[in-house]
Amino acid sequence: MAADSTATVDDAVDVGRGLDALDTPTEQRVPLWKRFLTGVVPPIVAVVLFVVVWQILWASAIWPEFKLPSPEAVFGTIGQDFAEGRALDIIWTSISRAILGFLLAVVVATPLGLLVATVPIVRSAIGPILTGLQSLPSVAWVPAAVLWFGLTDATIYFVVLMGAVPSIANGLVSGIDQVPPLLPRVGFAMGASRSQSARLIMLPAALPGFLGGLKQGWAFSWRSLMAAEIIATSPSLGFGLGAYLNEGQSLSDMPSVMAAILLILIVGIGVELLFFRPAEVRVLRARGLGTGP
Amino acid sequence: MTATLERSGPEPRTGPPALDVRGVSKVFGTGRDAVVALDGVDLAVAPGEFVCLLGASGCGKSTLLNLVAGLDRPTSGTVETTAARPAVMFQEAALLPWLDAGRNVELPLRLAGIGRAQRRERAKELLALVRLEGQAEKRPHELSGGMRQRVALARALAAATGLGGEGKSREEAGVLLMDEPFGALDAITRDVLQAELLRVWEATGTTVLFVTHDVRESVRLAERVVLLSSRPGRVVREWATAGADDAEELHGDITGELREVISAHGR
Repeated sequence: MAADSTATVDDAVDVGRGLDALDTPTEQRVPLWKRFLTGVVPPIVAVVLFVVVWQILWASAIWPEFKLPSPEAVFGTIGQDFAEGRALDIIWTSISRAILGFLLAVVVATPLGLLVATVPIVRSAIGPILTGLQSLPSVAWVPAAVLWFGLTDATIYFVVLMGAVPSIANGLVSGIDQVPPLLPRVGFAMGASRSQSARLIMLPAALPGFLGGLKQGWAFSWRSLMAAEIIATSPSLGFGLGAYLNEGQSLSDMPSVMAAILLILIVGIGVELLFFRPAEVRVLRARGLGTGP
Repeated sequence: MTATLERSGPEPRTGPPALDVRGVSKVFGTGRDAVVALDGVDLAVAPGEFVCLLGASGCGKSTLLNLVAGLDRPTSGTVETTAARPAVMFQEAALLPWLDAGRNVELPLRLAGIGRAQRRERAKELLALVRLEGQAEKRPHELSGGMRQRVALARALAAATGLGGEGKSREEAGVLLMDEPFGALDAITRDVLQAELLRVWEATGTTVLFVTHDVRESVRLAERVVLLSSRPGRVVREWATAGADDAEELHGDITGELREVISAHGR
């Protein structure tokens, strides 16, 4: 008591302001060149090194040309496909399917995830199945889908859905599970109705986990699509990257095969870098959570 | 000039209590596992009064607060309040991490369906009241623990008083329930925030029910200290701080009684 009986009100205000200034976390912004140096340069160096090693291995002729073509031959094939306008068609066929399949999966998985997360009996009934489905390779669905739907687009979308839905739903469930229980309590104490609590508190709070699920769901959509396209080939199904890869194999055209693998990889990484990474960085940074480099 | 001595003394308070807890009991579980957390608690808090609920851990003081807040229902007895909805503040600030400070303060107004311009104006007022002017755009993670707790105070005030406004009577100044809100802060910050809370209380005339296990805190803040016993929680004794001429003596008194209540469990 003695201490504050001598302190004037002004003093107290100054102490308060001083504490604010001292305790406020300082955020250090990394300069652009440094972020470029640590974020962009290493992967480029790694890719260049990989191509150099590849070139050396090819030049040393340990394997015959039809097993290991030169980087030049593979990039030449890709360049030629682009020049002929064929590459964009092939890529578009696959990407449009993957995006449509992914969006369908989001539409199916979001209510499913909400249901599993919020209704205990649904969780104990299908929660384990949903988790188990995640470890089932979606290629396994291709034969069944072909028998059920024939060689149609339905087969492709079915396989994509089976691949992506469990990941997205599980992401949403774990996102909701990780919401600190105090947040909905605070919401209720402030007079939030059930729907307000879901809309304004639970869903935004679960967003980081949901976004993680979406990201994984995209990866699974893309993989499943490739599996379906490679196995289920037919003129009626159009010509996507998987069919392109399959064609390369049947023609024993190794440069085409490797070109197809590279394109599949590039599209997968590209979508991740262009859409999911920025969204994730935004969401996490707004919450002051670590985002890595 | 301490914040406690500076206080203009309680005005005569008339009319119905802002908070009326009557014969409230709370039992958790059933049968042999049943735990009686509260047993026949009576507590009336006058409008504008500042009451501290003091007790050791496990005395059900947080349970009582939850009952008053409407977060839980009593097993028997009644809880009545003149406020439409008492606002609650917890040990953690529990701010929504994706909203900036201003929008966190706006949230209860938003839930009540108040338009954007009005609630933004009110949030600005309340942030200024807790001395956070110009910090409305900071996110919770950019604020210190003490600042976050002040944002939570501003938000609780928004919940308790709505849009506020001049010429409101004490009954309309709202009820604020605080569950050890400064428990997780360091000593200096706690000291500053206690002074801030008293200043805000005097400025707003809000009724405060404040839970703590810290005797010094209760003596400094409250007009009336209510001691709860542990398992089951009952009101043991209460002290008015305004009548005591020596705060140290009162502090000694209350500590003695609290120790007595706690050691009764060891026998």
